[in-house]
Amino acid sequence: MDPYDTPESTPRHGASSRLKDYFIGATPLRKRLESVRKQASFVPTPPRRKIPQCSQLQEDNDPQKFAFLLHKQWTLYSLTPLYKFSYTNLKEYSRLLSAFIAAEKQKGLAVEVGEDFNIKVTFSTLLGMKGTQRDPEAFLVQILSKSQLPSENRGQKVLWTGWFCCVFGDSLLETVPEDFTCVPLFLANGAETNTAIVGTWFQKTFDCHFSSLAINAFNLSWMAAMWTACKMDQYMATTEFLWSVPCSPQSLDISYAIHPEDAKALWDSVHKTPGEVTQEEVDLFMDCLYSHFHRHFKIHLSATRLVRVSTSVASAHTDGKIKILCHKYLIGVLAYLTELAIFQID
Amino acid sequence: MDETVAEFIKRTILKIPMTEMMTILKAWDFLPENQLQTVNFRQRKESLVQDLVLLCENKRASLRDAALLDIIYTQFHQHQKVWDVFQMSKEPGEDVDLFDMEQFKSSFEKILRRALKNVTVSFRDAEENAVWIRIAWGTQYRKPNQYKPVFVVYYSQTPYVFTSFCHLKSNTPLLSQALTVASNHHKIVKMDLRSRYLDSLKAIVFKQYNQKFETHNSTMPLQENLELDMHMDSRIIHENRIEKERVQRVTQETFGDYPQPRLEFAQYKLETKFKSDFHGGILAERKEPLRCLIKFSSPHLLEALKSLAPAGIADAPLSPLLTCIPNKGMNYFKIRDK
Repeated sequence: MDPYDTPESTPRHGASSRLKDYFIGATPLRKRLESVRKQASFVPTPPRRKIPQCSQLQEDNDPQKFAFLLHKQWTLYSLTPLYKFSYTNLKEYSRLLSAFIAAEKQKGLAVEVGEDFNIKVTFSTLLGMKGTQRDPEAFLVQILSKSQLPSENRGQKVLWTGWFCCVFGDSLLETVPEDFTCVPLFLANGAETNTAIVGTWFQKTFDCHFSSLAINAFNLSWMAAMWTACKMDQYMATTEFLWSVPCSPQSLDISYAIHPEDAKALWDSVHKTPGEVTQEEVDLFMDCLYSHFHRHFKIHLSATRLVRVSTSVASAHTDGKIKILCHKYLIGVLAYLTELAIFQID
Repeated sequence: MDETVAEFIKRTILKIPMTEMMTILKAWDFLPENQLQTVNFRQRKESLVQDLVLLCENKRASLRDAALLDIIYTQFHQHQKVWDVFQMSKEPGEDVDLFDMEQFKSSFEKILRRALKNVTVSFRDAEENAVWIRIAWGTQYRKPNQYKPVFVVYYSQTPYVFTSFCHLKSNTPLLSQALTVASNHHKIVKMDLRSRYLDSLKAIVFKQYNQKFETHNSTMPLQENLELDMHMDSRIIHENRIEKERVQRVTQETFGDYPQPRLEFAQYKLETKFKSDFHGGILAERKEPLRCLIKFSSPHLLEALKSLAPAGIADAPLSPLLTCIPNKGMNYFKIRDK
């Protein structure tokens, strides 16, 4: 059906032909690795062999315990260690933060028409949300509204949730002195204004600093590979990737959804090292997806920007947004995110 | 005037942007020119609308008048709806009748009324022998919902019908039947083509998109471009000049010189085996295909696709799966291995 001849392939310089080389050249795998390392050097991340994420995550935890954290979209931040934070003072912190929020809202900084100023703040620990014994306890902060309306749940609607955790944070814990508590990963759900207020209070009280945690394409690819590698009894969602194409003047988005069983079959075919996920495997997995796409559409996805990956385990967006769908691998997902957060702090 | 009609007229006029108010009211032609001149168009919109509705009440506007206004509003704001395309066909060997617009309209309405007691049907003729039809659906027991109408645009000299997306799928068979019978066709089929841009859909199915400009010698403007660049500084040599020229030429041959019809997306359902020359062994034993769903989205899809090869993001020529979209009049595809 194709009326045109395929283009001549002779070795040339320049961006478009470098891409061609990956599909025509002698050792595409090595070149792919080099290109990823080059990409990685723009946002330096250590090349690594990943510790197994799949088999390590047999959660004995009661699945209901953390169920409220699943299926929600969380915005990610990295957080520097907290100075003189104490788990015994949580009630005091609730009180102080409550007062702070009320004061800020009355200042007119974050007023919404008709908003009920009767709010309550709770601090609570999330037991078991850690990787090793050394990890500090994760804790949760919630802003609840004390509704004065005689509605169904008399009392309390959750307006905003934020949680702080550290999963396998050894690399950070080792470097930090006594008075500091390391909870480098912060996840927030709710109005931006509330996140800003809570953030300000923490920064003032514990002399710490929040930064938005973006996830680059390199890490998104890793996440896609690792989550596809996870053993699932049941697939709840299709495996999907979203690329944004830098063409002008019109933007173009390409969404590529693959049946989760087929994605798994592809991964199994790529996967060689038992219990581990390696850089080569991630590259090959992505390369196969790119290649399948190119065969049909003649478009080089590797030249575009990976913006979002979504699997039955979790979905992640490059802007630093995550949604965790599977309690079994919750710790595994948090471990990767903790690593990204720690890297950003360093 | 019925309260519901008054409310309906009020809400419809409220939707109209101030800049278009006069134009649309004139096109509606319900309130005469001299009456419109008595209205203060510089006041706040809410007050203006109140004045206009009062005038409509005095003139005893009916549901029919209100429906007509809704059609005109939609004609001015076509892109607010998503349009599907249907193609009708006659039995082979059937006589070609002379099309009678009035007969079509009355027959169409009769068929709908016979099936559904509660339905509002309105017509407005348009150019190119087309007619816009507005249908508000009700049920046996409920009056028609005027706020969720379906719009149908039928070009009577062609077998094509464009319909605005309808949430109530249950009425589609009835609508299809009414269209085919009233227009003396035998069959109606939904095409795999959907877009907000009615003009683009027309251009695609009527094959008018490539007739806008006369095609000159296509290599001429291209060479001028490159020569101009080279004159800027003779020390600058274009890398891949030959390759770039080839890509430009092939892209132009594929997409043409004319502006592309406007589509927002193309969707491909793939069930094809994984095959790769460089990944030999991967999935080699697997007989089952990979089940993929791929969607391209853009404010102007075809222009975006056209820019891919020159930007180095795609090969030239681009895959026929993408370039065939206007030719085949499809933006939904199911692809299987042969």
